[in-house]
Amino acid sequence: MIYLDNAATTQPFGGAMAQAGEFVQKCYFNPSAQYGGEASAALKEARASILEKIADPAQFELIFTSGGTEADNHALLACGRRNVVISAGEHAAVYEAGVHLKNAGVELRFAPVGQDGGVREEALLSLVDERTSLVSVVHVNNETGAVNDIFGLARRVKEKNPRCAFHSDGVQAFGKLPVRLNGDIDLYSVSAHKIGGLRGTGALIKRKGFPLQPLLHGGGQEGGLRSGTENLFGIMDFAFAAAEKFKNAEADLARMRELRERLWQLLDQDLYVRLSPADGSPYILTVSARGLRGEILQRLCAERGVIVGTGSACSSKKPHSRVLEACGYKGDVLDGVLRMSFSPATNEEEIVLAAQALNAAAAALKARIG
Amino acid sequence: MEKVIIIRYAEIHLKGKNRGYFERVFCVNLERAMKGLKHELHRTSGRYLVTAFDEARMEELCGRISRVFGVHSYSVGLCVPYDLDSVYRAAREVCPRAGSFKVQTHRADKKYPMTSMELSAHIGGRLLDEFPQLTVDVHEPGHTVCIDIRENGTALVFGKFERGAGGMPVGTSGKGLLLISGGIDSPVAGYMMAKRGMTVELLHFHSYPYTNDGAKEKVKELARLLARYSVSGRLLTLNVAHIQEEIHAKCAAELNVTLLRRFMFRLAEQTARDVNAKCLITGESLGQVASQTIEGITSSNAVVKLPVLRPLIGFDKEEIVLIAKKIGTFETSVLPYEDCCTVFLPDFPAIRPKLSFIEEEEKKLDAEALMREALATKEVFEL
Repeated sequence: MIYLDNAATTQPFGGAMAQAGEFVQKCYFNPSAQYGGEASAALKEARASILEKIADPAQFELIFTSGGTEADNHALLACGRRNVVISAGEHAAVYEAGVHLKNAGVELRFAPVGQDGGVREEALLSLVDERTSLVSVVHVNNETGAVNDIFGLARRVKEKNPRCAFHSDGVQAFGKLPVRLNGDIDLYSVSAHKIGGLRGTGALIKRKGFPLQPLLHGGGQEGGLRSGTENLFGIMDFAFAAAEKFKNAEADLARMRELRERLWQLLDQDLYVRLSPADGSPYILTVSARGLRGEILQRLCAERGVIVGTGSACSSKKPHSRVLEACGYKGDVLDGVLRMSFSPATNEEEIVLAAQALNAAAAALKARIG
Repeated sequence: MEKVIIIRYAEIHLKGKNRGYFERVFCVNLERAMKGLKHELHRTSGRYLVTAFDEARMEELCGRISRVFGVHSYSVGLCVPYDLDSVYRAAREVCPRAGSFKVQTHRADKKYPMTSMELSAHIGGRLLDEFPQLTVDVHEPGHTVCIDIRENGTALVFGKFERGAGGMPVGTSGKGLLLISGGIDSPVAGYMMAKRGMTVELLHFHSYPYTNDGAKEKVKELARLLARYSVSGRLLTLNVAHIQEEIHAKCAAELNVTLLRRFMFRLAEQTARDVNAKCLITGESLGQVASQTIEGITSSNAVVKLPVLRPLIGFDKEEIVLIAKKIGTFETSVLPYEDCCTVFLPDFPAIRPKLSFIEEEEKKLDAEALMREALATKEVFEL
C-alpha cells in the first residue's frame, strides 16, 4: 500500500510511541500531583523541546491542547470580539469557530483568496480596522498547499491596528517548512499527528504577555489556560516525533519538492490539471481530473494499492470544497479534485507507482463512462 | 412489591382458530426483542407478564417491548398479594397526589370476597382520605388506578397505559423483499410491512466505485435500526455499476433511471425467489420523483411477476418523514452519502416514459448478461 494522504494524518513513529509508552507505564503519576515530580519534569522537557523548535522560549510559551482544532478554537473564541478577519482559505476549525462567533454577534469578515488558495494581502488589510480584534490566516493552505506570508501579513496588520491579535493555523507548516515565530505573531496552532505523532495532541503557541482567556476551566493545568490532566503519553510522543521530524526537516523539504514535481511530471496531463502552486508547500500536490470525479478515482486508486485524498479529509462529506470554491473553481474542476500529500517516508519508487495508478485509474474511468 | 410489565396484544384476538399460532410467534418475537436483558416472560389470560427484570434497565426493556409488532399497549405495574392493605400500598404508589382519578378493578378470580365495584370504592376511598387534593371523576379522570385481581392470590396494580407498536406479529404474514436505498422512504416502507406481520428481507443496490462504502455503511445502519422492529437482521447487496455504465453509454439519457429501475426489479425478483420471498416492497410514493409516476411504476411492474407492495404510495413526504422520525431512521437516512441513483442522474429524466420506447432502448443492452453479472456480485451482511 502506498499512502499519499499525509496531510490528513501520518503514520505514527513507532519509536516515539515506544519511548513515551515506556515512560508513562513506569511513571504514571499525575504531573500536577505533589509526588508527580518526575512526570512533571518530563512534561516540562517535552514542552520546551517542542517550543524551541519554532520559537524563542524567552518570547513564547506553549499550551498543550487536544489538537489543532482545539488550538484554533481557543484562539478564535478567546480573541473574537467586535470584528474578526479570516481568510476564505481557512481550515474548518478556524472557519467554523468564526461562524460560531458570527452567530454570537461578532462581525466575521472574509479576506478573499487567489486561485492558488493564498490570501490576497491587500484585500485582507483593507478589512482590518481599529475595531478588528483578531486576524487569523492559515500558514499553509491544507487543500492546495499555498503558503501565506504570515510574517509579512502580521507586520502590516499590527501597523494598521497594534491592538489586533494575529493567529495562524500552522498545522500543515509545523515540522515541514522552516518557521521561526516573531513578535508579530500572537498565537500559532500546531498538531502532532501530521508529523508522526498521535491524534489527540496539539498545541497553541502563545506570545508571552499576550492576554488569553481559557476555554476549559478546571484544575488549572497549562498555566490555567487549559485545564485537564495532561496527556503525558501523547505529549511525550509528540516531543519525540517532533525531534525526529525536525532532525532532517531541511533535507526532507528539498526531497519533497523533488517528489512532488516528479509526480506531477509523471501524471498524464491530458487527464489531470494542477491546482497546487509551484511555490506552495512541497508536501502537497492537489490536482483535478478533467471531467471525472475525484472520489471515484480515489476508490479506483485504492483498488490499485494507492491511497490519495480528495481535498481535505475533514470536509470529505460535503459535496464541494468550500476552500476550492473560494479559489474560484467551478463544478467540473471541484468534482475532480485529488490531493496527494507526502511524508519523509515517501520514496521515489512509490511516486512512480502512484503516478501509474492515478493515470490508469483516470483512463479506466474515462473509458467506462465515456 | 415486585415491579412487572404487563403486555396486551393487539389484533391477535381476532384470529379465531389461528390464535395459538399467532400467539406462539408473538411470544418468540417478544423473547427475541428482550434477548440479552434479564427477564422472565409469562403468559396469563389474554396478556403477557414480564417479571424478574433488572429495574435499572427497565426503560430499555420497555423500549424494546414497545417496538414489537402485535403489542397493543403495555404498563409498568406492581405485583402484590391481593389482600386489601397490600393492594392499597401499591395503589398509592401508582396514584398521583393531586388531581382527578378513578379506580378500576378487574377480577379474574371471581371468588375474591369483594366485587370489583366494592374494591374500587374501598381503595378509592382510602386514597381520598389520605390525599385530600385528589378528586374522584369516573367519567373523565386525569388518572386511572387499575387493579387486576388474579387467580393465583396476587393483584397487579398499575396506572399508565403506554402505546405499543400495534400491528401483527412479524412472521405471521409471509415474507417480502424490501428494496432499500438509504433514503428516507424505503426504511419506512419496510417498517409498514413488518407492522402487518410480514417478515422483511433487505436488498440494497450499490454501484461501486461510483458509490462508496459510506453509502453501504449507512444502509447497514438503517438495517440495524429496522432490526429493532424484527425486520431481517441481514442485508443483501448487488452491484449495478456496470448496468448503469451500459445504459449511460448506449441508451437515451432521459431513460437512465427508468431502465435502471427495470433492472433493479428484475434482480430483486430473482433475489426474492432465492430467499423465498413472495413479493417485492418499495418505498415509492406516487409522483414523488420522476420514476414514481404511474408510467414509471408501470414500466417497472412490467418486468416482474411477483406482486410489488408499495405501502407509501398515497403518502406525502411529510407524512413519511413523520414516521421515519418516530421509528428512528430519519437521522440516518438524511446523512449525505450518494445512493446509487445520483451519479448517472440525467438532467431531465423522462417523467412519462412510453413502454414501447423503453423496450426499444432496452434492446440495445444484453440484459441477460448484465443480470448474470450483477447477481454474481451478491454480498450478504449479517448485522
